[in-house]
Amino acid sequence: MASRTSRHGSAPGALDGSPRRRLPMRLLLPLLVLLALMAMLMLRGYVHSEILADHRVRPEASAAKVPDKILDGGPVIDTRSGRTTSLRVPAHHLVLTFDDGPDPTWTPKVLDVLKKHHAHAVFFVTGTMTSRYPDLVKRMVAEGHEVGLHTFNHPDLSYQSTKRVDWELSQNQLAITGAAGIRTSLFRPPYSSFADAMDDKSWPVTEYIGTRGYITVVNDTDSEDWKKPGVDEIIRRATPHGGKGAIVLMHDSGGDRHQTVRALDTFLPTLQRQGYEFDNLTEALDAPSAHTPVTGLDLWQGKAWIFLVQASDNVTGVLVVALAVIGSLVIGRFVLMLVLSAAHARRVRRRGFSWGPPVTEPVSVLVPAYNEAKCIENTVRSLMASEHPIEILVVDDGSTDGTARVVEAMGLPNVRVVRQLNAGKPAALNRGLANARHDLIVMMDGDTVFEPATVGELVQPFADPRVGAVAGNAKVGNRDSLIGAWQHIEYVMGFNLDRRMYDLLRCMPTIPGAVGAFRRSALERVGGMSDDTLAEDTDITMAMHRDGWRVVYAENARAWTEAPETVQQLWSQRYRWSYGTMQAIWKHRRALVDKGPSGRFGRVGLPLVSLFMVVAPLLAPLIDVFLLYGVIFGPTQKTILAWLGVLAIQVVCAAYAFRLDRERMTHLVSLPLQQILYRQLMYVVLLQSWITALTGGRLRWQKLRRTGVVEAPGGLIPRQPTRAGSGDRRPVG
Amino acid sequence: MTAHGYPTSAAISRGAAGSAGVGGWQPEVAAAPVTAGGGSGRDRYLDLLRSTALVRVVVYHLFGWAWLTVLFPSMGVMFALAGSLMARSLSRPALSVIRGRIRRLLPPLWAFSAVALALMFAGGWNPVKDPDNGGIWGVLKLIDYVIPVGAPPFPWHIGSKSGLLEDTWAVQAAGPLWYLRAYLWFVIASPLLLWAFRRAPWPTLLAPLGLTAIVGTGLVTIPGETGNAVTDFAVYGGCWVLGFAHHDGLLSRIPRYVAVSGSALLMAFGLWWASGHLGPDGWDLNDIPLAQASWSFGFVVILLQYSPSWRELPGRLRRWDKLVTLSNNRAVTIYLWHNMLIMATVPIIDQVYNLPFMQSDRAVGALDSTYMIWMFLLVWPLIGLTILALGWIEDIAAKRSPRLWPNGVRRGGSRRKA
Repeated sequence: MASRTSRHGSAPGALDGSPRRRLPMRLLLPLLVLLALMAMLMLRGYVHSEILADHRVRPEASAAKVPDKILDGGPVIDTRSGRTTSLRVPAHHLVLTFDDGPDPTWTPKVLDVLKKHHAHAVFFVTGTMTSRYPDLVKRMVAEGHEVGLHTFNHPDLSYQSTKRVDWELSQNQLAITGAAGIRTSLFRPPYSSFADAMDDKSWPVTEYIGTRGYITVVNDTDSEDWKKPGVDEIIRRATPHGGKGAIVLMHDSGGDRHQTVRALDTFLPTLQRQGYEFDNLTEALDAPSAHTPVTGLDLWQGKAWIFLVQASDNVTGVLVVALAVIGSLVIGRFVLMLVLSAAHARRVRRRGFSWGPPVTEPVSVLVPAYNEAKCIENTVRSLMASEHPIEILVVDDGSTDGTARVVEAMGLPNVRVVRQLNAGKPAALNRGLANARHDLIVMMDGDTVFEPATVGELVQPFADPRVGAVAGNAKVGNRDSLIGAWQHIEYVMGFNLDRRMYDLLRCMPTIPGAVGAFRRSALERVGGMSDDTLAEDTDITMAMHRDGWRVVYAENARAWTEAPETVQQLWSQRYRWSYGTMQAIWKHRRALVDKGPSGRFGRVGLPLVSLFMVVAPLLAPLIDVFLLYGVIFGPTQKTILAWLGVLAIQVVCAAYAFRLDRERMTHLVSLPLQQILYRQLMYVVLLQSWITALTGGRLRWQKLRRTGVVEAPGGLIPRQPTRAGSGDRRPVG
Repeated sequence: MTAHGYPTSAAISRGAAGSAGVGGWQPEVAAAPVTAGGGSGRDRYLDLLRSTALVRVVVYHLFGWAWLTVLFPSMGVMFALAGSLMARSLSRPALSVIRGRIRRLLPPLWAFSAVALALMFAGGWNPVKDPDNGGIWGVLKLIDYVIPVGAPPFPWHIGSKSGLLEDTWAVQAAGPLWYLRAYLWFVIASPLLLWAFRRAPWPTLLAPLGLTAIVGTGLVTIPGETGNAVTDFAVYGGCWVLGFAHHDGLLSRIPRYVAVSGSALLMAFGLWWASGHLGPDGWDLNDIPLAQASWSFGFVVILLQYSPSWRELPGRLRRWDKLVTLSNNRAVTIYLWHNMLIMATVPIIDQVYNLPFMQSDRAVGALDSTYMIWMFLLVWPLIGLTILALGWIEDIAAKRSPRLWPNGVRRGGSRRKA
């Protein structure tokens, strides 16, 4: 533990040395990424009418205040600059109008039919649909049709403030400009019908819209095609009587419009034979075009808007795929864990199971200690109760609190104290190894307590000569606090599910520093402990695999450790672990192309470990981003149900792990909160490790670590009560 | 405010040791003797909670933001603090404790009632002819202004809409009085509740939640004022008994992970219930009894579970020390008067429209759109004035010598505000 302590000291030293500058910078990037993701999601939700949509429709009101000439007048209402006039379409002219589009399926078909019969029409497009399908609007304009505003997301304007009305118009206009490079002066209010349907609620809006420079266009005949009444009925309703001119209302969006398309295909040639002309509105009225080209800044604003919406749609698409991937990864991993850990438990708990003849040879227990004066006595006493013959070697790694003296003062036989200048945990372990008399080596932390049977259980697998190292079962002692309970759940799942799975897959990534055993010959073959990485336990375990040794899990070798009690301690512990794991994976990357056992580990174990520990957690924030979005912007109920479903899977897995370990289930009550508060902390830590790794932090880290080691004995860094066994890093909660 | 005035201050502001405060509002002096210079035995964490609760109540009544009831369930917190103090006092004979509590509660209420009734009568209210609760009964109920065994009657509309005050000012002013009724009943019921709690802690703790599920959900409806009283008693009874649990140390004996996780689940239930039973103001928990009860209960468990027992406010909080002390010493006054003072800001701000430079449309528009902010800024000086004018009644009621501005600063110091 010594060096973990000193390193440990150095880790926060490096991080906290300038806490006001460095830490926020590292947090800033993940935060910005999350914010950008959220913004993209919101933009998408906004143009998909999931946000800010208003589906209220006002019931009819009295029409006392609407001028009679409007009620009796034509469908083209001009209230610009104080006017109150309305126009009709001349006889034998029909202006087809299509509302609510463009629609990716039906609008192209409508356009095709119009083109086939050389007809022009007017499309009243919404801002949301225009933003999503800008090419269609471009095509409309190019083919001689006119486009008009139909608001941004189709609310009943009589409910909206003038601010919102302005915004609906300008945002709609912005989208059209971005799509087709023009501005239009035509407007049709949502939920509108005939001029005589104007009432006291909608007329003021119409007047107001006139002051903004728009001509309001309602209609003469309503095909009611949205009711899908059949082709004949659509034609009957759309056709005006006695050769009169008319504005015809149709829809190219909002559902299945094949009846509309088929009706058009009949309607157009039939009426053209009767002498009707199908023009767009200004052609029919013989007026200048409603379109004005836009240039300069306005055009670029429009284009930028369209670009952003397209980007958000694409990004969201990618996110959804990523979410599906992460979802299947999470669930696949759980299934794999459940199946394999059940298989493992069945195997090692089978009656008469043994690794071979009982291992009774004496064992050297190495206890590296750095400033563990408070805990070391408990640790050593717990070892004295060991049922297995042992010698105890306490390696004091330059403690400043008299750790070595505490042990010596106990005056116990077969306990030796070796002192060294502070050099780190790997060095302390190597020194202990050099001084150890026996061939089986158990390593533990200075703040860990063993049960009497732990050492014996831990070394039994060495009866199998292929086994080079054994991982024990580390348990959290202080599990009554919230953060302790969360780690308890994490440890029990990590040891009983992950480790059993890794055991069977032969790619156990870590022997926990708190409780692990090694064959001396195996250690010597791989060159002992190394200080290349921050996680020497992961490093050595991978080296063992590459050397062809089996690394197994001994469930009954229990060691009790104290878990970090504050978020800060937990943070620096996990940062060390996750960054150390990355370093170790990187260090052993060549296993990927090796031959023999090393290659097997490199091609099976290493990718698995990387996937579960380093890659998958990186995608985990997506779950929360979508959760947050879903809860706020809906569908709230479905989102929460989905989340509860995932939670239920977790509970099942955790309960199974608890049962395997014969733990009381009461701690599972804190699992829901763990999913809301703890998991996020873990992936922020991982993200931070990624950033350190990607920004070349590896070199800088090494340098800082050295200074940290020098500083730590000076007492700059408060002693951390805990450096529990590592390894149970569960990537995705 | 600087921090340097603090260490000696606390001892003075709470002079008369041993007098029981009106729980929930007025913290009482701890059993431990006041040590010189080291602050009193007051738990400043609880004081801070009480001040926060008060500020939240004022802000909520001013802006009406429903989400504030979720952010900080003030009433639950106040009742829990009161319950804790009550449990402590009840080591003495119950009757004298109850008498002491009532004695401290009533005089400030009488001052408020006198002003409120005078205004209502002046506004033309005749309780005998009130359309909602007229007749002899209406007159009899006026006694609630003296001893709040029930919520007092008030006219729903008084004056005219174009008058200085809105015509609903009486509703607003008398609205907070329900708290006094609930408090009074809790005090009277406390000896029994405490007896039950010490015999069967868990059933007593959870019974109010169960009762809320019955009377607060429409399952059983008790009509009229009695119904309101029973519902309030049920909704906040859990918090009151939690105060007992905090005082008796039961809360600290439960492992923290159990308490926090359990509370979180209960609170999640509360939110879920609220989502399906939204009231006229949406997520305003005051309109959703079961949600209020469970959310407040869980919230209070977490607050009291982490109760760190500060002897003085730590770090940056220390700058609020004087305000915390003042608001704790004048909690009854602030609570009683705040709503009427909020109403009083309106006619004052309306005067601004008459100013010469306020005649343009833009100026009027600017004032219109920032009106609430001005109310918010104005209500605090008004509360300060009320404390100066009427706060001393709290001291008299507590048999203490009256103080003008008890913010904990040594008397005669230059910091006194007037």
